[in-house]
Amino acid sequence: MSPSAPILEIRELNKVYHSGRDSVPAIGSVSFSVGRGEFVAIIGPSGCGKSTLLKIIGDLLEPSAGFVSVDGLSAHQARLKGRFSFVFQNPVLLPWRRIIDNVRLPLEVLGRHSREPEQLLQMVGLAGFEKRYPQELSGGMQHRAALARALTFDPQLLLLDEPFGALDEFTRDALNQQLLQIWQETGVTILFVTHGIGEALFLADRVIVLSGRPATVREAFKVPFPRPRPDALKETEYFQEVVKSLREKLE
Amino acid sequence: MPSPGAIGDAFLANYRRLFRETGITMEESVLGFLLGSFGAYLVAIFFVYSRTFQQAVYPYAVALKSTPLIAIAPLLVLWFGNGLFSKIVMSALVAFFPVLVNSAKGLTAVDPEALDLMKSLSASRWQVLTKIRVPNSLSYLMAGLKIASSLAVVGAVIGEFTGATEGIGHLINTSSYYLETPLMFAGVFMISLGGILFFGLMAFLERKIVFWQEPAH
Repeated sequence: MSPSAPILEIRELNKVYHSGRDSVPAIGSVSFSVGRGEFVAIIGPSGCGKSTLLKIIGDLLEPSAGFVSVDGLSAHQARLKGRFSFVFQNPVLLPWRRIIDNVRLPLEVLGRHSREPEQLLQMVGLAGFEKRYPQELSGGMQHRAALARALTFDPQLLLLDEPFGALDEFTRDALNQQLLQIWQETGVTILFVTHGIGEALFLADRVIVLSGRPATVREAFKVPFPRPRPDALKETEYFQEVVKSLREKLE
Repeated sequence: MPSPGAIGDAFLANYRRLFRETGITMEESVLGFLLGSFGAYLVAIFFVYSRTFQQAVYPYAVALKSTPLIAIAPLLVLWFGNGLFSKIVMSALVAFFPVLVNSAKGLTAVDPEALDLMKSLSASRWQVLTKIRVPNSLSYLMAGLKIASSLAVVGAVIGEFTGATEGIGHLINTSSYYLETPLMFAGVFMISLGGILFFGLMAFLERKIVFWQEPAH
């Protein structure tokens, strides 16, 4: 998929945390853009401010300087209009709601009706689990439900913050394949924060490599692998080489 | 110390009266419990939205909690008379604190990611309250209500001891005066049974309402 007009633009974004008299710079100066329909991964050493960056893009945090534009709107306007959707590290399902009602939550809050929650649950392989409660589901299934919830209002941009990091490798691989499938079916733009180099390379069109704190863009790496990408790709020598060269850039 | 047989005889001879007086005390306890818990939950909701309000009210709540009920009971009887109302107020006062503390905790101890999720959906304060905070507080609330249910009975009985014309506290008090020890025991037995049933009802409701949580043992 070739990147067209950018849906997301970030210019000289800067974030400084103040605690008492100290000021801790979290993000140095970050600029990049993401094309419509593109799958972009952001990697960087742990604690470099990846999650902070994603939260600023999603208007959960205010930047200290710089600007974010989502589809020509400010991050704030874009949030109010429901242009993007978050997937967090934990599935964040409400234990008192059935799966179907968890998936329906964004529609209730936003007061609109875009996609059938039943259909989305089917899409993520959870058909038949609508009436269950989250705690009756496995960790992987909970993440699938969270993914379905993020898609209910047809967002144009999906912001994922190390979404499957707590899962075992097999479940994570399965969910990543699921994510790729969703991306291909819906044409949604994806910004995926991870600390896994292999994961980033396997999924993304482009990988943005951040430096340690305060974060700056060290490199925007175009991933050379063609699609579709089977799981076996990860076992090839070529893939391992690319992982290695990217790891060197991170260090 | 009366024999179980003597207590049984006292019970059989007075069971109508015992049930009637226990019923009155339980009525005071339940009404006071409802008043106190409902008020406490409302105050707890205000705590969430105003730190100033919390800082202003909390010391008074603690002071109220630290004052022995028996010390203010005469005052309450003086103000509210020796009828049901003074006992209801007393029950409400003791039920208030555990519900306040637990509810305030439950309304604020919300998963920060759940708040981020709601914010990312541009949810209003009202939506955050009704869809996240209130359901989240229910398990804490029920824990508070279990404590409050027992305390409410204590409050009502203390009220009756201080000045009343009916109720199980009044019955125990007068039978003490006439040295009817078996009847006193029967009265104590009745009111503890009432307290246990009240507590049991709360525990049952807890399992029904907070169904998603494993009961803590």
